Amino acid sequence: MFQVNRAYPYIFYLSLITYLLSIFWGLFLTPEDFVQGNSYRIIYLHVPASFISQSLYLAMAIASAVYLIWKVKLSVYLVRSIAPIGAVTTFIALISGSIWGIPTWGTWWVWDARIVSTLILFIMYLGLISLHDSFNNNEKADKFLSILVLVGSVNIPIIKMSVEWWSTLHQPASITLSEKPAIDLVMLYPLFGSIIGFTGLITCLVILSSKLQIIKREKNKSWVKDYV
Amino acid sequence: MDALVKAQNLSYKINDKKLFQGISFELLKGKALHIQGENGSGKTTLLRMVCGLTKPTKGDLITQTDKEVCFIGHKNAIKQYLNVEDNLVLMNLSNHKDLQKYLSVFDLDKSLDINIANLSFGQQKKIALLRLFLNSSDLLILDEPSVGLDTNSQEILVNFLKKELANGKGIIYSSHIFLDFDSDRLGI
Amino acid sequence: MEIIKFEFLKLLKKSRGWLGPILVFILIMVAYPLTVEVSDVELSQSFFSILWIAALLVVMLATEDIFLEDFSDGTLEQYAILQKNLSLIVGSKIFVYWLVIGVPISMLGAIFCVGTTSESAFGYQILPVLLVSTYIFMNVFSFGNALSLTKGSVLGTLVTLPLLLPLLIILGKVVVAINFDLNYSGFLFLLLGILSIIIMIIPMIISYIIRAHLE
Repeated sequence: MFQVNRAYPYIFYLSLITYLLSIFWGLFLTPEDFVQGNSYRIIYLHVPASFISQSLYLAMAIASAVYLIWKVKLSVYLVRSIAPIGAVTTFIALISGSIWGIPTWGTWWVWDARIVSTLILFIMYLGLISLHDSFNNNEKADKFLSILVLVGSVNIPIIKMSVEWWSTLHQPASITLSEKPAIDLVMLYPLFGSIIGFTGLITCLVILSSKLQIIKREKNKSWVKDYV
Repeated sequence: MDALVKAQNLSYKINDKKLFQGISFELLKGKALHIQGENGSGKTTLLRMVCGLTKPTKGDLITQTDKEVCFIGHKNAIKQYLNVEDNLVLMNLSNHKDLQKYLSVFDLDKSLDINIANLSFGQQKKIALLRLFLNSSDLLILDEPSVGLDTNSQEILVNFLKKELANGKGIIYSSHIFLDFDSDRLGI
Repeated sequence: MEIIKFEFLKLLKKSRGWLGPILVFILIMVAYPLTVEVSDVELSQSFFSILWIAALLVVMLATEDIFLEDFSDGTLEQYAILQKNLSLIVGSKIFVYWLVIGVPISMLGAIFCVGTTSESAFGYQILPVLLVSTYIFMNVFSFGNALSLTKGSVLGTLVTLPLLLPLLIILGKVVVAINFDLNYSGFLFLLLGILSIIIMIIPMIISYIIRAHLE
């Protein structure tokens, strides 16, 4: 924990600078998109957010497995502190996608493969939070939380698979990232930069929130009193 | 002689709050142990721990029994919407050779076709206690077994428990109502 | 076998437990044509989505207190003390619920299907899909209700909904497959595969959850 504390400012400022630089690069130094005009520039928020929202779930799944197998309490604190952040990033991904949808597809919502899977992910995050908060007994709540995360993670590839079959039949015209013409390198570099920067910032948020979680849960221990 | 239950330094915490700690005891065959304590001191938790339902936060608990434990808890484990006979089927007691005897002792033999919901609290408790009277366990764990029983039935219960002790069974129980038979005491 | 017999006895004597959901299913299927302008074509177009949603809701309703009753009256703690194999009990409980509620619903669904689409072939094809999918629903909702055992069904639903959405998407595809005579058996085998994994794993997870609740 104290090691993390020491590393924390470096991570924070490095990723903040990276993100700001890439956004600046992306917003002002790259040319307009041939098809979409300026509206595509929301990509520097949308893509990092949706990338993070899925990676956070993966991180939660790993931490849950660690908790259930080795009973490491810290890992379930991590799960609990990631859940709201995951919900927020998923929400950002959904909203920014909707905003992007208006100029490109002419509508803010399409029942498309990726959107639906993101929506499911969002509901899953909400379910996890409400499940954990509804139990008074922390140990029970921890167990159930990590079980649900793991069961839900089995679901994620299924979501992907089934949604893709469904969409190929239902909506072949809708634009998904994979079908779009390859992004030009000029746009790709700032995109990578923004993903890395955003990931770093979210990591900082996770660190802060798990610190809070640890202090909240261990508040009766003497070391917490010393620390605070 | 082997101990049926051997507990060393048991402690239990809920959300980092201690319920009890440092509990040690040993139960030999043919002995009874009366767990005493105020409301909320963790008697039920300790009994459930001996049953294997709850795990101690710290300490060792070894039970050595050949058969399953017989546990009578606060919950009767009988179905309100079924009649007595169906409940006996669910409890796996309907073919027991001593069933008729205890039904008539408790005056239940005429209410076999009555729904449990129409029986009084004490009568429901008696049906739950049939589990105890027809048990085949070495170790009996009773959480307030005499709640709701009239004096006559309490006497039957005490006599039965005395007989079980003489047969070499072990009993761990908690009761706020005084049950008149030899037992060691453990305060928590 | 004895466990299954016991569960039958319990469920059948509790008529609101099984008759209620079946009646709700019939109600939805009868009420739905009344709410649209009746022309046969439109009815059969949206019939299947109503069918899936009805099956989903009814199974949700049916499994609402699948473990709650046994938990609160102490039956589960007796089971946990006496018999070590809780997951077998859980599995047979779900099986009995499916047999008493899921199977009649599936048959009714197939009958309604023939009645609405007036093609008996659809009925034969939809019946096995309904049988399998109601069994999957049963398992998943039982999982959700085990997690939220003492916390009400809202939480259970919120928790299980994301797990079921992909399944609903597959079911939508099955209907397309039936309509256009495409690869129907492929989807049936896919559902059977999902089911066989689920009935192996879910009872084990649920029994773990129940033990945690009993603690």
